[in-house]
Amino acid sequence: MTFVVPIGPQHPALKEPEFFRFEVRGEEIVDVDIHLGYAHRGIEEAFSRRNYKHNIYLSERICGICNVVHSTTYCQAVEQLAGVEPPERAKYIRAIIMELERIHSHLLWLGIAAHQIGFNTLFMLAWRDREYVMDLREMISGGRVHSATNTIGGVRRDVKIEHVPTFLRGLEKLEQSTNYYINLFKSDRTILARCTNLGVLSKEDAIKFCTVGPTARASGLKTDIRRDDPYGAYDALSFDVAIERDGDVWAKGMVRLREILESIQIVRQALKEMPGGPIRIRVGLQIPPNETIERTEAPRGELLYYIRSNGTEIPERVRVRTPTYGNFASMKSMFVGGTIAEIPIVIWGIDPCFACNDRVTLVDSRTGKTRIASFDELRRWRK
Amino acid sequence: MHSNEVATLVKKHVDDIRIVDDRCLFATSDKQRLENILRALRVQKVTHISAITGVDTGNVVEVIYHFDCQPAELNLKIPLPKDDLKIPTITEIFPGAIMYERDLMEMLGVKVEGHPDPRRLFLPDDWPEGEYPLRKEWREKSK
Repeated sequence: MTFVVPIGPQHPALKEPEFFRFEVRGEEIVDVDIHLGYAHRGIEEAFSRRNYKHNIYLSERICGICNVVHSTTYCQAVEQLAGVEPPERAKYIRAIIMELERIHSHLLWLGIAAHQIGFNTLFMLAWRDREYVMDLREMISGGRVHSATNTIGGVRRDVKIEHVPTFLRGLEKLEQSTNYYINLFKSDRTILARCTNLGVLSKEDAIKFCTVGPTARASGLKTDIRRDDPYGAYDALSFDVAIERDGDVWAKGMVRLREILESIQIVRQALKEMPGGPIRIRVGLQIPPNETIERTEAPRGELLYYIRSNGTEIPERVRVRTPTYGNFASMKSMFVGGTIAEIPIVIWGIDPCFACNDRVTLVDSRTGKTRIASFDELRRWRK
Repeated sequence: MHSNEVATLVKKHVDDIRIVDDRCLFATSDKQRLENILRALRVQKVTHISAITGVDTGNVVEVIYHFDCQPAELNLKIPLPKDDLKIPTITEIFPGAIMYERDLMEMLGVKVEGHPDPRRLFLPDDWPEGEYPLRKEWREKSK
Protein backbone atom coordinates (compact mmCIF):
# COMPACT_ATOMS: atom_id res chain seq x y z
CA MET A 1 0.00 0.00 0.00
CA THR A 2 1.46 3.32 -1.02
CA PHE A 3 0.50 6.85 -0.01
CA VAL A 4 0.78 10.05 -1.96
CA VAL A 5 2.51 13.01 -0.37
CA PRO A 6 1.93 16.21 -2.33
CA ILE A 7 4.67 18.80 -1.85
CA GLY A 8 4.31 22.24 -3.31
CA PRO A 9 3.53 24.38 -5.22
CA GLN A 10 5.18 26.09 -2.27
CA HIS A 11 8.74 24.89 -2.58
CA PRO A 12 10.09 23.14 0.54
CA ALA A 13 13.51 24.68 0.02
CA LEU A 14 13.14 27.88 -1.91
CA LYS A 15 10.58 30.61 -2.40
CA GLU A 16 9.68 29.45 -5.88
CA PRO A 17 6.72 27.39 -7.01
CA GLU A 18 6.58 23.93 -8.44
CA PHE A 19 4.81 20.76 -7.47
CA PHE A 20 6.12 17.35 -6.50
CA ARG A 21 3.93 14.33 -6.04
CA PHE A 22 5.75 11.72 -4.00
CA GLU A 23 4.47 8.18 -3.74
CA VAL A 24 5.70 6.62 -0.51
CA ARG A 25 5.61 3.23 1.16
CA GLY A 26 6.10 3.98 4.85
CA GLU A 27 9.05 6.33 4.86
CA GLU A 28 10.49 5.16 1.56
CA ILE A 29 9.91 7.07 -1.68
CA VAL A 30 8.85 4.72 -4.48
CA ASP A 31 7.93 7.22 -7.19
CA VAL A 32 7.97 10.91 -7.89
CA ASP A 33 6.19 13.07 -10.42
CA ILE A 34 7.03 16.70 -11.06
CA HIS A 35 4.63 19.37 -12.32
CA LEU A 36 6.31 22.38 -13.83
CA GLY A 37 5.01 25.53 -15.40
CA TYR A 38 3.77 27.50 -12.41
CA ALA A 39 6.02 30.33 -13.46
CA HIS A 40 5.81 29.90 -17.23
CA ARG A 41 5.78 33.42 -18.62
CA GLY A 42 5.98 32.76 -22.35
CA ILE A 43 9.39 34.39 -22.66
CA GLU A 44 10.41 32.52 -25.84
CA GLU A 45 7.40 33.97 -27.65
CA ALA A 46 8.01 37.39 -26.09
CA PHE A 47 11.50 37.34 -27.61
CA SER A 48 10.04 37.22 -31.12
CA ARG A 49 7.95 40.34 -30.49
CA ARG A 50 10.73 42.66 -29.36
CA ASN A 51 13.81 43.98 -31.09
CA TYR A 52 17.34 42.76 -30.40
CA LYS A 53 18.07 45.61 -27.98
CA HIS A 54 14.92 45.15 -25.87
CA ASN A 55 15.61 41.43 -25.74
CA ILE A 56 18.84 42.01 -23.77
CA TYR A 57 16.70 43.20 -20.85
CA LEU A 58 14.22 40.37 -21.35
CA SER A 59 16.97 37.74 -21.29
CA GLU A 60 18.35 39.22 -18.06
CA ARG A 61 14.94 38.73 -16.46
CA ILE A 62 14.72 35.01 -17.16
CA CYS A 63 16.65 34.39 -13.98
CA GLY A 64 17.44 36.80 -11.17
CA ILE A 65 20.44 34.93 -9.84
CA CYS A 66 22.17 34.19 -13.13
CA ASN A 67 21.11 37.27 -15.09
CA VAL A 68 24.58 38.09 -16.43
CA VAL A 69 25.17 34.68 -17.94
CA HIS A 70 21.78 34.88 -19.69
CA SER A 71 22.47 38.29 -21.18
CA THR A 72 26.04 37.29 -22.10
CA THR A 73 24.83 34.20 -23.93
CA TYR A 74 22.17 36.19 -25.71
CA CYS A 75 24.58 38.97 -26.70
CA GLN A 76 27.25 36.52 -27.86
CA ALA A 77 24.69 34.76 -30.02
CA VAL A 78 23.50 38.02 -31.60
CA GLU A 79 27.11 39.05 -32.18
CA GLN A 80 27.69 35.75 -33.98
CA LEU A 81 24.57 36.31 -36.10
CA ALA A 82 25.73 39.79 -37.03
CA GLY A 83 29.26 38.53 -37.67
CA VAL A 84 31.01 40.88 -35.25
CA GLU A 85 33.57 40.21 -32.57
CA PRO A 86 33.39 42.22 -29.31
CA PRO A 87 36.62 43.93 -28.12
CA GLU A 88 39.00 41.80 -26.03
CA ARG A 89 38.58 44.00 -22.95
CA ALA A 90 34.80 43.51 -23.06
CA LYS A 91 35.28 39.74 -23.07
CA TYR A 92 37.40 39.94 -19.92
CA ILE A 93 34.88 42.20 -18.17
CA ARG A 94 32.11 39.75 -19.05
CA ALA A 95 34.19 36.87 -17.64
CA ILE A 96 34.85 38.77 -14.40
CA ILE A 97 31.17 39.53 -13.83
CA MET A 98 30.11 36.00 -14.77
CA GLU A 99 32.56 34.50 -12.29
CA LEU A 100 31.37 36.87 -9.55
CA GLU A 101 27.88 35.65 -10.38
CA ARG A 102 28.98 32.05 -10.01
CA ILE A 103 30.55 32.79 -6.60
CA HIS A 104 27.45 34.53 -5.28
CA SER A 105 25.15 31.83 -6.68
CA HIS A 106 27.16 29.05 -5.04
CA LEU A 107 27.32 30.91 -1.72
CA LEU A 108 23.56 31.39 -1.90
CA TRP A 109 23.25 27.64 -2.48
CA LEU A 110 25.51 26.90 0.49
CA GLY A 111 23.45 29.15 2.75
CA ILE A 112 20.11 27.57 1.86
CA ALA A 113 21.57 24.04 1.96
CA ALA A 114 22.84 24.77 5.49
CA HIS A 115 19.38 26.06 6.44
CA GLN A 116 17.81 22.86 5.04
CA ILE A 117 19.95 20.65 7.22
CA GLY A 118 19.30 22.79 10.30
CA PHE A 119 22.73 24.43 10.41
CA ASN A 120 21.61 28.05 10.57
CA THR A 121 24.94 29.48 11.70
CA LEU A 122 26.51 28.40 8.43
CA PHE A 123 23.52 29.88 6.59
CA MET A 124 24.22 33.28 8.16
CA LEU A 125 27.98 33.04 7.55
CA ALA A 126 27.61 32.09 3.89
CA TRP A 127 25.18 34.92 3.22
CA ARG A 128 27.43 37.37 5.05
CA ASP A 129 30.25 36.42 2.68
CA ARG A 130 27.93 36.67 -0.27
CA GLU A 131 27.61 40.36 0.55
CA TYR A 132 31.29 40.86 -0.33
CA VAL A 133 30.54 39.63 -3.84
CA MET A 134 27.43 41.76 -4.12
CA ASP A 135 29.45 44.82 -3.11
CA LEU A 136 32.08 44.06 -5.76
CA ARG A 137 29.39 43.65 -8.39
CA GLU A 138 27.78 46.90 -7.36
CA MET A 139 31.13 48.64 -7.55
CA ILE A 140 31.83 47.70 -11.16
CA SER A 141 28.35 47.52 -12.62
CA GLY A 142 26.17 49.73 -10.46
CA GLY A 143 23.76 46.94 -9.57
CA ARG A 144 23.96 44.37 -6.80
CA VAL A 145 22.00 41.73 -8.66
CA HIS A 146 20.87 42.99 -12.06
CA SER A 147 24.07 44.44 -13.39
CA ALA A 148 22.75 45.38 -16.87
CA THR A 149 26.36 45.29 -18.00
CA ASN A 150 26.04 43.56 -21.34
CA THR A 151 25.08 45.03 -24.61
CA ILE A 152 25.35 43.77 -28.18
CA GLY A 153 28.96 44.39 -29.17
CA GLY A 154 30.53 44.62 -25.71
CA VAL A 155 29.82 45.93 -22.24
CA ARG A 156 28.47 49.25 -20.98
CA ARG A 157 30.79 49.95 -18.05
CA ASP A 158 34.52 49.64 -17.71
CA VAL A 159 36.47 48.25 -14.73
CA LYS A 160 38.44 51.22 -13.40
CA ILE A 161 42.05 50.92 -12.23
CA GLU A 162 41.12 52.26 -8.77
CA HIS A 163 38.68 49.36 -8.35
CA VAL A 164 41.41 46.73 -8.52
CA PRO A 165 42.81 46.97 -4.93
CA THR A 166 39.29 46.76 -3.45
CA PHE A 167 38.65 43.79 -5.71
CA LEU A 168 41.74 41.95 -4.58
CA ARG A 169 40.93 42.58 -0.90
CA GLY A 170 37.40 41.29 -1.40
CA LEU A 171 38.65 38.16 -3.18
CA GLU A 172 41.17 37.56 -0.36
CA LYS A 173 38.36 37.51 2.23
CA LEU A 174 36.26 35.22 0.06
CA GLU A 175 39.11 32.80 -0.42
CA GLN A 176 39.70 32.57 3.33
CA SER A 177 36.06 31.89 4.07
CA THR A 178 35.70 29.36 1.25
CA ASN A 179 38.70 27.41 2.52
CA TYR A 180 37.09 27.44 5.96
CA TYR A 181 33.81 26.11 4.49
CA ILE A 182 35.64 23.36 2.65
CA ASN A 183 37.27 22.22 5.90
CA LEU A 184 33.90 22.42 7.60
CA PHE A 185 32.32 20.32 4.84
CA LYS A 186 34.96 17.66 5.34
CA SER A 187 34.80 17.54 9.14
CA ASP A 188 31.50 18.76 10.54
CA ARG A 189 29.30 16.00 11.96
CA THR A 190 25.99 17.65 11.05
CA ILE A 191 26.99 18.16 7.42
CA LEU A 192 28.41 14.67 7.05
CA ALA A 193 25.35 13.07 8.67
CA ARG A 194 22.83 15.05 6.60
CA CYS A 195 24.58 15.16 3.22
CA THR A 196 26.52 11.98 2.57
CA ASN A 197 24.79 9.14 0.69
CA LEU A 198 21.68 11.22 0.11
CA GLY A 199 20.12 11.75 -3.30
CA VAL A 200 22.84 9.75 -5.03
CA LEU A 201 23.00 10.13 -8.80
CA SER A 202 25.21 7.46 -10.34
CA LYS A 203 27.57 8.34 -13.17
CA GLU A 204 25.57 6.07 -15.54
CA ASP A 205 22.32 7.92 -14.72
CA ALA A 206 24.04 11.29 -15.01
CA ILE A 207 25.12 10.36 -18.55
CA LYS A 208 21.80 8.72 -19.41
CA PHE A 209 19.64 11.71 -18.41
CA CYS A 210 22.00 14.32 -19.91
CA THR A 211 22.61 16.18 -16.65
CA VAL A 212 24.64 19.36 -16.72
CA GLY A 213 26.76 21.55 -14.47
CA PRO A 214 27.71 20.84 -10.86
CA THR A 215 25.08 18.05 -10.70
CA ALA A 216 26.91 16.15 -13.46
CA ARG A 217 30.37 17.00 -12.14
CA ALA A 218 29.44 15.70 -8.66
CA SER A 219 28.74 12.32 -10.31
CA GLY A 220 32.19 12.19 -11.88
CA LEU A 221 31.39 13.61 -15.34
CA LYS A 222 34.10 15.98 -16.45
CA THR A 223 31.93 18.44 -18.32
CA ASP A 224 32.25 22.20 -18.31
CA ILE A 225 31.36 24.37 -21.32
CA ARG A 226 34.03 26.88 -20.32
CA ARG A 227 36.60 24.15 -21.04
CA ASP A 228 34.79 22.03 -23.68
CA ASP A 229 33.50 24.84 -25.90
CA PRO A 230 35.31 27.98 -24.70
CA TYR A 231 33.62 31.33 -25.31
CA GLY A 232 34.67 34.92 -24.70
CA ALA A 233 37.88 35.18 -22.70
CA TYR A 234 37.82 31.62 -21.35
CA ASP A 235 40.19 30.38 -24.03
CA ALA A 236 42.95 32.43 -22.43
CA LEU A 237 42.06 31.82 -18.79
CA SER A 238 43.32 28.72 -17.01
CA PHE A 239 41.31 26.86 -14.38
CA ASP A 240 40.57 23.34 -13.17
CA VAL A 241 37.23 21.62 -13.57
CA ALA A 242 36.18 20.52 -10.07
CA ILE A 243 34.78 16.99 -10.04
CA GLU A 244 33.71 14.56 -7.32
CA ARG A 245 32.78 10.90 -7.68
CA ASP A 246 30.06 10.14 -5.11
CA GLY A 247 27.06 11.87 -6.70
CA ASP A 248 25.41 12.63 -3.35
CA VAL A 249 24.42 16.00 -1.87
CA TRP A 250 27.82 16.26 -0.19
CA ALA A 251 29.60 15.86 -3.52
CA LYS A 252 27.35 18.48 -5.14
CA GLY A 253 28.22 20.91 -2.35
CA MET A 254 31.92 20.15 -2.53
CA VAL A 255 31.98 20.72 -6.30
CA ARG A 256 30.36 24.11 -5.80
CA LEU A 257 32.77 25.13 -3.01
CA ARG A 258 35.79 24.14 -5.06
CA GLU A 259 34.37 26.05 -8.02
CA ILE A 260 34.25 29.19 -5.88
CA LEU A 261 38.02 28.88 -5.39
CA GLU A 262 38.52 28.38 -9.13
CA SER A 263 36.32 31.39 -9.88
CA ILE A 264 38.36 33.54 -7.51
CA GLN A 265 41.50 32.54 -9.41
CA ILE A 266 39.83 33.29 -12.75
CA VAL A 267 38.84 36.78 -11.58
CA ARG A 268 42.38 37.46 -10.30
CA GLN A 269 43.88 36.25 -13.56
CA ALA A 270 41.43 38.25 -15.66
CA LEU A 271 42.12 41.43 -13.69
CA LYS A 272 45.86 40.92 -14.21
CA GLU A 273 45.79 40.04 -17.90
CA MET A 274 42.98 42.26 -19.05
CA PRO A 275 44.06 44.21 -22.15
CA GLY A 276 43.27 47.89 -22.60
CA GLY A 277 41.22 49.37 -25.39
CA PRO A 278 37.59 50.01 -26.16
CA ILE A 279 34.83 48.14 -24.35
CA ARG A 280 32.19 48.09 -27.06
CA ILE A 281 31.59 48.42 -30.76
CA ARG A 282 28.40 49.58 -32.43
CA VAL A 283 26.36 46.87 -34.14
CA GLY A 284 23.60 47.52 -36.64
CA LEU A 285 20.36 45.86 -35.60
CA GLN A 286 19.17 44.87 -39.08
CA ILE A 287 20.58 41.35 -38.97
CA PRO A 288 20.42 39.29 -42.20
CA PRO A 289 18.71 35.86 -42.16
CA ASN A 290 20.94 33.46 -40.27
CA GLU A 291 20.86 31.07 -37.35
CA THR A 292 23.21 30.25 -34.53
CA ILE A 293 23.54 28.50 -31.21
CA GLU A 294 25.51 29.66 -28.23
CA ARG A 295 26.38 27.66 -25.17
CA THR A 296 27.79 28.91 -21.87
CA GLU A 297 28.43 27.47 -18.43
CA ALA A 298 25.94 29.10 -16.05
CA PRO A 299 26.34 28.55 -12.28
CA ARG A 300 23.91 25.62 -12.62
CA GLY A 301 25.30 24.17 -15.83
CA GLU A 302 25.08 24.35 -19.59
CA LEU A 303 22.89 27.18 -20.86
CA LEU A 304 21.88 27.10 -24.53
CA TYR A 305 20.44 29.81 -26.77
CA TYR A 306 19.33 29.19 -30.34
CA ILE A 307 18.50 32.32 -32.32
CA ARG A 308 17.22 32.65 -35.90
CA SER A 309 17.20 36.06 -37.54
CA ASN A 310 15.09 37.12 -40.52
CA GLY A 311 16.59 40.37 -41.80
CA THR A 312 14.56 42.63 -39.51
CA GLU A 313 15.30 44.09 -36.08
CA ILE A 314 13.17 41.39 -34.46
CA PRO A 315 14.41 37.80 -34.16
CA GLU A 316 12.36 35.06 -35.80
CA ARG A 317 12.82 32.55 -33.00
CA VAL A 318 14.76 32.41 -29.75
CA ARG A 319 15.05 29.15 -27.88
CA VAL A 320 16.40 29.09 -24.33
CA ARG A 321 17.35 25.89 -22.57
CA THR A 322 18.21 26.63 -18.95
CA PRO A 323 20.37 24.26 -16.88
CA THR A 324 17.68 23.31 -14.34
CA TYR A 325 15.44 22.20 -17.22
CA GLY A 326 18.27 19.92 -18.33
CA ASN A 327 18.61 18.43 -14.84
CA PHE A 328 14.93 17.60 -14.20
CA ALA A 329 14.98 14.29 -16.05
CA SER A 330 17.52 12.96 -13.55
CA MET A 331 15.55 13.87 -10.41
CA LYS A 332 13.59 10.63 -10.20
CA SER A 333 16.70 8.54 -9.80
CA MET A 334 17.90 10.79 -6.98
CA PHE A 335 14.69 10.39 -4.97
CA VAL A 336 13.57 6.78 -5.47
CA GLY A 337 14.75 4.65 -2.55
CA GLY A 338 15.26 7.67 -0.28
CA THR A 339 13.11 8.87 2.62
CA ILE A 340 10.66 11.74 3.08
CA ALA A 341 12.95 13.60 5.48
CA GLU A 342 15.59 14.06 2.83
CA ILE A 343 13.30 15.61 0.19
CA PRO A 344 14.17 19.29 0.76
CA ILE A 345 17.92 18.90 0.73
CA VAL A 346 17.88 16.56 -2.28
CA ILE A 347 15.73 19.00 -4.27
CA TRP A 348 18.09 21.75 -3.27
CA GLY A 349 21.05 19.56 -4.26
CA ILE A 350 20.57 20.33 -7.96
CA ASP A 351 20.21 24.04 -7.10
CA PRO A 352 16.89 24.35 -8.93
CA CYS A 353 15.75 27.62 -10.33
CA PHE A 354 12.07 27.82 -11.25
CA ALA A 355 10.28 30.69 -12.49
CA CYS A 356 3.67 30.65 -11.99
CA ASN A 357 0.24 29.56 -12.54
CA ASP A 358 -1.49 27.74 -9.78
CA ARG A 359 -3.10 24.34 -9.57
CA VAL A 360 -4.01 21.96 -6.75
CA THR A 361 -3.82 18.21 -6.38
CA LEU A 362 -6.74 16.54 -4.66
CA VAL A 363 -6.30 13.17 -3.01
CA ASP A 364 -9.48 11.14 -2.57
CA SER A 365 -9.12 9.55 0.86
CA ARG A 366 -11.33 6.56 -0.02
CA THR A 367 -9.83 5.49 -3.30
CA GLY A 368 -6.39 7.07 -2.94
CA LYS A 369 -6.69 8.45 -6.49
CA THR A 370 -5.39 11.88 -7.26
CA ARG A 371 -6.44 14.47 -9.77
CA ILE A 372 -5.48 18.03 -10.57
CA ALA A 373 -8.06 20.80 -10.18
CA SER A 374 -7.78 23.78 -12.48
CA PHE A 375 -7.85 27.37 -11.36
CA ASP A 376 -11.30 27.82 -12.93
CA GLU A 377 -12.67 24.90 -10.99
CA LEU A 378 -11.38 26.34 -7.73
CA ARG A 379 -12.90 29.69 -8.53
CA ARG A 380 -16.28 28.06 -9.14
CA TRP A 381 -16.14 26.34 -5.77
CA ARG A 382 -15.48 29.57 -3.99
CA LYS A 383 -18.75 30.96 -5.28
CA MET B 1 34.55 14.94 -32.21
CA HIS B 2 35.24 18.14 -34.08
CA SER B 3 32.91 19.46 -36.78
CA ASN B 4 34.76 17.74 -39.66
CA GLU B 5 34.63 14.35 -37.96
CA VAL B 6 30.92 14.75 -37.16
CA ALA B 7 30.28 15.79 -40.78
CA THR B 8 32.06 12.66 -42.10
CA LEU B 9 30.08 10.50 -39.69
CA VAL B 10 26.62 11.74 -40.63
CA LYS B 11 27.34 12.62 -44.29
CA LYS B 12 25.54 9.72 -45.91
CA HIS B 13 22.36 10.28 -43.88
CA VAL B 14 21.92 14.01 -44.40
CA ASP B 15 21.06 16.29 -47.32
CA ASP B 16 23.21 19.31 -46.61
CA ILE B 17 25.80 20.24 -44.04
CA ARG B 18 26.89 23.72 -43.04
CA ILE B 19 30.04 23.84 -40.92
CA VAL B 20 30.04 27.12 -38.99
CA ASP B 21 33.35 26.56 -37.25
CA ASP B 22 35.35 23.82 -35.60
CA ARG B 23 32.78 23.42 -32.83
CA CYS B 24 29.44 24.06 -34.51
CA LEU B 25 27.65 22.60 -37.52
CA PHE B 26 24.14 22.45 -38.94
CA ALA B 27 22.74 19.53 -40.95
CA THR B 28 19.35 18.76 -42.50
CA SER B 29 17.81 15.31 -42.83
CA ASP B 30 14.39 13.68 -42.68
CA LYS B 31 12.55 11.53 -40.17
CA GLN B 32 13.13 8.27 -42.08
CA ARG B 33 16.90 8.60 -41.67
CA LEU B 34 16.79 10.07 -38.15
CA GLU B 35 17.27 6.75 -36.40
CA ASN B 36 20.36 5.92 -38.48
CA ILE B 37 21.95 9.20 -37.46
CA LEU B 38 21.12 8.65 -33.81
CA ARG B 39 22.62 5.16 -33.88
CA ALA B 40 25.75 6.41 -35.66
CA LEU B 41 26.18 9.13 -33.01
CA ARG B 42 25.60 6.64 -30.22
CA VAL B 43 28.30 4.31 -31.57
CA GLN B 44 30.72 7.25 -31.39
CA LYS B 45 29.84 7.68 -27.67
CA VAL B 46 27.70 10.79 -28.15
CA THR B 47 25.38 10.67 -25.16
CA HIS B 48 24.39 14.26 -24.46
CA ILE B 49 21.45 15.99 -26.10
CA SER B 50 21.48 19.66 -25.14
CA ALA B 51 17.97 20.54 -26.28
CA ILE B 52 15.28 20.14 -28.95
CA THR B 53 14.04 23.30 -30.63
CA GLY B 54 10.93 23.64 -32.77
CA VAL B 55 10.66 26.49 -35.27
CA ASP B 56 7.48 27.29 -37.21
CA THR B 57 8.48 28.58 -40.62
CA GLY B 58 5.01 28.86 -42.16
CA ASN B 59 4.05 25.59 -43.84
CA VAL B 60 6.82 23.61 -42.22
CA VAL B 61 7.81 23.05 -38.60
CA GLU B 62 11.52 22.48 -38.26
CA VAL B 63 12.55 20.27 -35.39
CA ILE B 64 16.18 20.89 -34.43
CA TYR B 65 18.06 18.43 -32.25
CA HIS B 66 21.14 19.85 -30.57
CA PHE B 67 23.69 17.12 -29.86
CA ASP B 68 26.85 17.72 -27.87
CA CYS B 69 29.55 15.71 -29.67
CA GLN B 70 32.37 16.96 -27.36
CA PRO B 71 33.32 19.58 -28.37
CA ALA B 72 31.31 20.10 -31.57
CA GLU B 73 27.60 20.85 -31.31
CA LEU B 74 25.62 19.13 -34.06
CA ASN B 75 22.35 20.89 -34.90
CA LEU B 76 20.28 18.38 -36.79
CA LYS B 77 17.21 19.76 -38.56
CA ILE B 78 14.21 17.65 -39.49
CA PRO B 79 11.61 19.65 -41.44
CA LEU B 80 8.03 18.38 -41.00
CA PRO B 81 5.17 19.60 -43.21
CA LYS B 82 2.24 20.96 -41.19
CA ASP B 83 -0.18 18.36 -42.59
CA ASP B 84 1.98 15.53 -41.24
CA LEU B 85 3.42 16.72 -37.93
CA LYS B 86 4.66 13.39 -36.64
CA ILE B 87 8.10 12.29 -35.59
CA PRO B 88 9.28 9.15 -33.80
CA THR B 89 10.55 9.53 -30.23
CA ILE B 90 14.28 9.46 -29.62
CA THR B 91 14.01 8.62 -25.92
CA GLU B 92 14.93 4.98 -26.53
CA ILE B 93 18.35 6.07 -27.70
CA PHE B 94 18.65 9.38 -25.80
CA PRO B 95 16.55 9.07 -22.59
CA GLY B 96 17.52 12.62 -21.60
CA ALA B 97 15.27 13.99 -24.36
CA ILE B 98 12.07 13.09 -22.47
CA MET B 99 11.28 16.62 -21.25
CA TYR B 100 12.26 18.35 -24.48
CA GLU B 101 9.89 16.14 -26.49
CA ARG B 102 7.00 16.96 -24.13
CA ASP B 103 7.81 20.62 -24.62
CA LEU B 104 7.85 20.16 -28.41
CA MET B 105 4.45 18.44 -28.37
CA GLU B 106 2.62 21.10 -26.34
CA MET B 107 4.26 24.19 -27.78
CA LEU B 108 4.21 23.34 -31.49
CA GLY B 109 1.77 20.47 -31.78
CA VAL B 110 4.31 18.00 -33.17
CA LYS B 111 3.14 14.50 -32.32
CA VAL B 112 6.05 12.52 -30.92
CA GLU B 113 5.15 8.90 -31.62
CA GLY B 114 5.98 6.34 -28.94
CA HIS B 115 6.76 8.90 -26.22
CA PRO B 116 6.63 7.19 -22.80
CA ASP B 117 4.93 10.11 -21.00
CA PRO B 118 3.09 12.38 -23.47
CA ARG B 119 1.55 14.73 -20.89
CA ARG B 120 1.83 18.50 -20.87
CA LEU B 121 4.91 20.00 -19.29
CA PHE B 122 4.56 23.75 -18.82
CA LEU B 123 1.05 24.63 -20.00
CA PRO B 124 -1.86 24.36 -17.55
CA ASP B 125 -4.17 21.34 -17.75
CA ASP B 126 -7.13 23.50 -18.82
CA TRP B 127 -5.23 24.91 -21.81
CA PRO B 128 -7.52 24.38 -24.86
CA GLU B 129 -6.81 21.39 -27.11
CA GLY B 130 -5.30 22.18 -30.48
CA GLU B 131 -3.85 25.56 -29.46
CA TYR B 132 -0.09 25.71 -29.82
CA PRO B 133 1.51 28.92 -28.50
CA LEU B 134 4.67 28.88 -30.60
CA ARG B 135 2.84 28.44 -33.93
CA LYS B 136 2.61 31.31 -36.40
CA GLU B 137 -1.22 31.05 -36.44
CA TRP B 138 -1.35 31.58 -32.70
CA ARG B 139 0.81 34.65 -32.95
CA GLU B 140 -1.53 36.18 -35.52
CA LYS B 141 -4.53 35.31 -33.37
CA SER B 142 -3.11 36.78 -30.17
CA LYS B 143 -2.03 40.12 -31.65
